[in-house]
Amino acid sequence: MIDPFVIDPFMALAGRLQGGIVIPLLYRLDLMQWEDISFGWSLFAVYGLFQVLITWAIAMPLEAWRPVERWPGRRVVLTDMFYTLIARVGLLPLVTFVLFYQVQVHVNGFLVDRGWIPPMLERLIPPLFGHPVLTFFAYAIILDFADYWRHRISHMIPAWYALHALHHAQRQMTFWSDDRNHLLDDLLSALWFGLIALLIGISPFQFPLLVFMLRFVESLSHANTRISFGRIGERVIVSPRFHRAHHGVLAAGKRSCNYGAVLPWWDMLFGTADFSPAFAPTGDLEAPEALATGGYLAQQSAGLASLAAVFRRARKAPAGSSSAGIRG
Amino acid sequence: MPRHRDIPLISRRGTLAAGVAAFGTTPRKAPAAPGPVPPSGGIAIVMNSAGASISIVDMATRRLIRDVPVLREPHHWTLSPDGRELWVGDASGDALFALSPTTGTLLSHRVLSDPYQLWVSPDGRLLVVNALRLNHVDLYDAASLTLIRRFYEPSMPSHLAYAPDSSMVYSTLQGTASVVAIDLVKNAVAWRARVGPAPAGIVWHQDRLLVALMNAGDVVALDPVDGRVIRRIPTGRGAHIIALAPDRRVIYVGNRVAGTIDALDGQTLRPFRRYTLTGGPDCIAFAPDGKLWISRRWTDSLAVLDPATGRFELVPVGRSPHGVFLSPMLDLFAANGRAALGTASL
Repeated sequence: MIDPFVIDPFMALAGRLQGGIVIPLLYRLDLMQWEDISFGWSLFAVYGLFQVLITWAIAMPLEAWRPVERWPGRRVVLTDMFYTLIARVGLLPLVTFVLFYQVQVHVNGFLVDRGWIPPMLERLIPPLFGHPVLTFFAYAIILDFADYWRHRISHMIPAWYALHALHHAQRQMTFWSDDRNHLLDDLLSALWFGLIALLIGISPFQFPLLVFMLRFVESLSHANTRISFGRIGERVIVSPRFHRAHHGVLAAGKRSCNYGAVLPWWDMLFGTADFSPAFAPTGDLEAPEALATGGYLAQQSAGLASLAAVFRRARKAPAGSSSAGIRG
Repeated sequence: MPRHRDIPLISRRGTLAAGVAAFGTTPRKAPAAPGPVPPSGGIAIVMNSAGASISIVDMATRRLIRDVPVLREPHHWTLSPDGRELWVGDASGDALFALSPTTGTLLSHRVLSDPYQLWVSPDGRLLVVNALRLNHVDLYDAASLTLIRRFYEPSMPSHLAYAPDSSMVYSTLQGTASVVAIDLVKNAVAWRARVGPAPAGIVWHQDRLLVALMNAGDVVALDPVDGRVIRRIPTGRGAHIIALAPDRRVIYVGNRVAGTIDALDGQTLRPFRRYTLTGGPDCIAFAPDGKLWISRRWTDSLAVLDPATGRFELVPVGRSPHGVFLSPMLDLFAANGRAALGTASL
């Protein structure tokens, strides 16, 4: 039974998940040393599940109401749904955590021993302290800026784009497509944000609903729906139209546009914004077919094959050439 | 020894948000200012580990008075050597917050690496900090908060307890099923011993160490000389916390998996009563009326347990409450000194 005392329904469900499943499982597996940290995962999973449900409840009718494209079948969307579920309910972040936990401990410990304790944003800008919501938005803006450059660089480096092409290969782009990424691409992202965390500290996580809103914008921006936020709105927050331009068949590879995930400001600032009203077809015409229509494992495997091909081409390229494998 | 800088938090503008005292490179404490009048029945100060806040609760009415913001992840507390400040460790915020223990007013904070569990030694000389995330046990001079020595431990130093004469400190190492004993006279490791899976709570009692084993259903008694297990006391599954009542006649053990609290006879160590308390029972603080204030990690609440009747009331606080301090504990401190609060982290 869910504790009737707990007002926050997310917390109530997470508590139930923790007490009923996670803790007994950890106990059975002799992993109780992780019991404290594991509650964060239970919360993450519950909020993630709600994210998926709410996003589905809102984005699905929008896709039905004003679809950009109609498809005879939606089999390939099922794979995207799988990506979403493992990413949002915490399985993928858990794998990343397990892989990087010791690295993070050693890197942080090494830096701490040399006097470098990550300077929280509130330490860099003291008036933020005591204003947690303001702090959250400050972090959100900075992290969105960092993500703009992570994303842009992922298009510039051929080896990275070989992995990122998995995200772009989808020709039936829907709100489920946000999380379709190669595992190594996700790991690179985790490293990127790990580095940012060393510079400005970790962002406050006590606002799961705000995190939810940001993730909702990202999901919605992939929706197969003919929605634009208007002349001003398009310049405030990323819309389905804005992000669709990034996924357009002519925008795959090195010369893309609209890299922003939540805020279009960085594209406007660095000259990569495209506000043209077109709703282009999506996909990467040069990507292996398996990246577009294969199942999960086939896509992961094809991503690795593409990466290997980039390295092979780079080895064969004449010395001094920097264009091997670059498309666009 | 690695270099370590203990960096006071810098405020270029002198003051921070309302209710937060001035910080600076040199003076890290606020000028004396009138704080809120505390309720006559005292306050509970509760560290909300997933809420980046500290809840101040009126103990008489059981109502939340206000929340005090911190940086990220407050877990545990200790009283400063003079008892005038309550120090709260913000683990992933890498900060030590000082609050008034009578009003809960935030006085200052400073940078400190990963302060998860912390406790000032019975003689008031040292502050030992267990950095669970970074695998350190740090010894600080309690007066100046300068780092004296850092001990690198294999995995997850969790709870800690001192010998009553402050000559030793013992830390449970959750990740390696062991306990480390550090000689505080020689500033050196005296021994490391395997004691059982996922050790958590640890207390000094009757010249022995009692350690709760989270991945077992028991508490073990150790010989403090070498860490040898000399007795096992069966409790509930997932034994996590051990709390000695102020009179030392009862020992309470919180069982995380079973969702129970066991009461052990302080003399015989035999369990004589079991209380059912779901929601992740964790830290225990003792009120003057004999009731136990227990944080429930997964339910945003405290349980106020009457051990005589087994009934409990629930008090709403912030997300994932962990450490609990009750301001009437100051009376114990004033009357009987630091040892009255015990020699183990709470």
